[in-house]
Amino acid sequence: MSELAIRMSEVSKKYPYFTLDNIHLDVPQGQIMGLIGPNGAGKSTTIRILMGLVHPDRGEVRVLGQRMPQNQVAAKWDIGFASEDMRLYDSMTVGWHMHFIQSIYSNWDAAYAGLLLKRFGLPAMQKVKGLSHGQRVKAALLLILARRPKLLVLDEPTTGLDPVARHEILRELTGVMADEGRTILFSSHHTQDVEQISDQITFIDRGRIIDSMDKEQYLDRWRRLRLEVPNGIELPSLPGVIEVKRSGRLAVAIANAFVADLPNAYETSGARVHAVESMTLEEIFVANVEHSREEVEA
Amino acid sequence: MRGSVVGALILKDLRMWREAIVLSILGGVIALAVVQLANEVSVVVGSVCFFIALILVGTMIPLAGIVNERKNKNLAFVMSLPVSSIQYTTSKLLSSTGIYLIPWMALVAAGLLIIQVRGFPHGLIPLALILELLPFIGFAIITAAALMGESEGWGILANVVVQCSYGLTWFFISRVPEVMKYNNSPVIVWSPTDLRILGTEVAIIPLLLVLTYFVLSRKRDFI
Repeated sequence: MSELAIRMSEVSKKYPYFTLDNIHLDVPQGQIMGLIGPNGAGKSTTIRILMGLVHPDRGEVRVLGQRMPQNQVAAKWDIGFASEDMRLYDSMTVGWHMHFIQSIYSNWDAAYAGLLLKRFGLPAMQKVKGLSHGQRVKAALLLILARRPKLLVLDEPTTGLDPVARHEILRELTGVMADEGRTILFSSHHTQDVEQISDQITFIDRGRIIDSMDKEQYLDRWRRLRLEVPNGIELPSLPGVIEVKRSGRLAVAIANAFVADLPNAYETSGARVHAVESMTLEEIFVANVEHSREEVEA
Repeated sequence: MRGSVVGALILKDLRMWREAIVLSILGGVIALAVVQLANEVSVVVGSVCFFIALILVGTMIPLAGIVNERKNKNLAFVMSLPVSSIQYTTSKLLSSTGIYLIPWMALVAAGLLIIQVRGFPHGLIPLALILELLPFIGFAIITAAALMGESEGWGILANVVVQCSYGLTWFFISRVPEVMKYNNSPVIVWSPTDLRILGTEVAIIPLLLVLTYFVLSRKRDFI
């Protein structure tokens, strides 16, 4: 097993109106982990805890082998962190920010920074207040990427961006992964963005991690079966099927552990299987969240 | 080799405040130039403008440098750097105090020089120092509130309280006979009351800053 870039175990944090509950999250080095959750699910709190900005009430956090938050300074030398609610200084130029970061990081790659400046179409002498939202996000990403961190932690980096800017950011992140030692934790509620670049995906909802596995595993294991059920036939409760919605003679079954025998099992019970469909990550996410909430409420 | 991030943050603040430092010194020097005309109106107008310069820069530094950094979400950017929350607090206390000290010392020195060379009674010097230390205390109070309160509201509240207190404090100081007694003396007279007030003022400033450091060093969540 490869070394872990991030290890969170039994992490909890209680606020008056929100609780992050017993979070386990392992991200191996060299992987891109997508953290998907609805607004208010706990993505940002999880990320703040692993960046050492918030102390957990319980549990252990290790990032790049360093205990957090105790050793956050040592860990943050090798972490590039950007979040949706992070802003550069409005009254300063992009070039000023580059110079500032360069004064801190001796491994600042000036040539790469120059390349990114051109690739992102950023004017170095322009004050940040004159930049568009997309340009500001790109500038923040430039400041992170040019210092060549081992771990990138990106909290909703594509929120509010136009499709072109999103594409440029995601392309650059994919390019970064050419360096195999690099790890990325990428949180978003845009499943398309996460699906595009992630190797592994974790779903989080209402302060709990509800599922975590390889992206391909998700896509392989989740299926939607469209069924026709003659009157008088009751659909059996089958293992791996988390939801069945019936409307007259038609039914839709959602399976989170699809096996090849599942359609046969429905056929044997008297139903007709019209289609077995793959699900998009967004559909998987929504079904997963709904199933998890039903389980909690039951 | 890894440089000192606290040092880099202090330098960053210094670079960001360069113009404000120069402007406040310039404003204070212009006010003193008015004072040295040495007629009744120019002394009053110049002195008021001189104190406005000291008070204004002492208010701007914590409000714009600490409160706005949080409000404008620059703090998340700073905290993404290899720095702990207590190192950030250290850098803010050092940079803010250092930045304020530059115009404060320059203007206090210029003020004392004017008293010395333009024929004002040297007995004014203790009173001038007592009054000139008040904006420094105001700066320390607003800085402490801005860092500990972590919100614009606390910063504004501290600012309002401090601004309202100046008039009141000046009034009470002007009612202390020991302080006013030697104002027209041609030589400096340090009365025990002068020294007590100055000692208290000088002690309050580091006390507030150390208290801020102590409180923030015990905080568990930063953003």
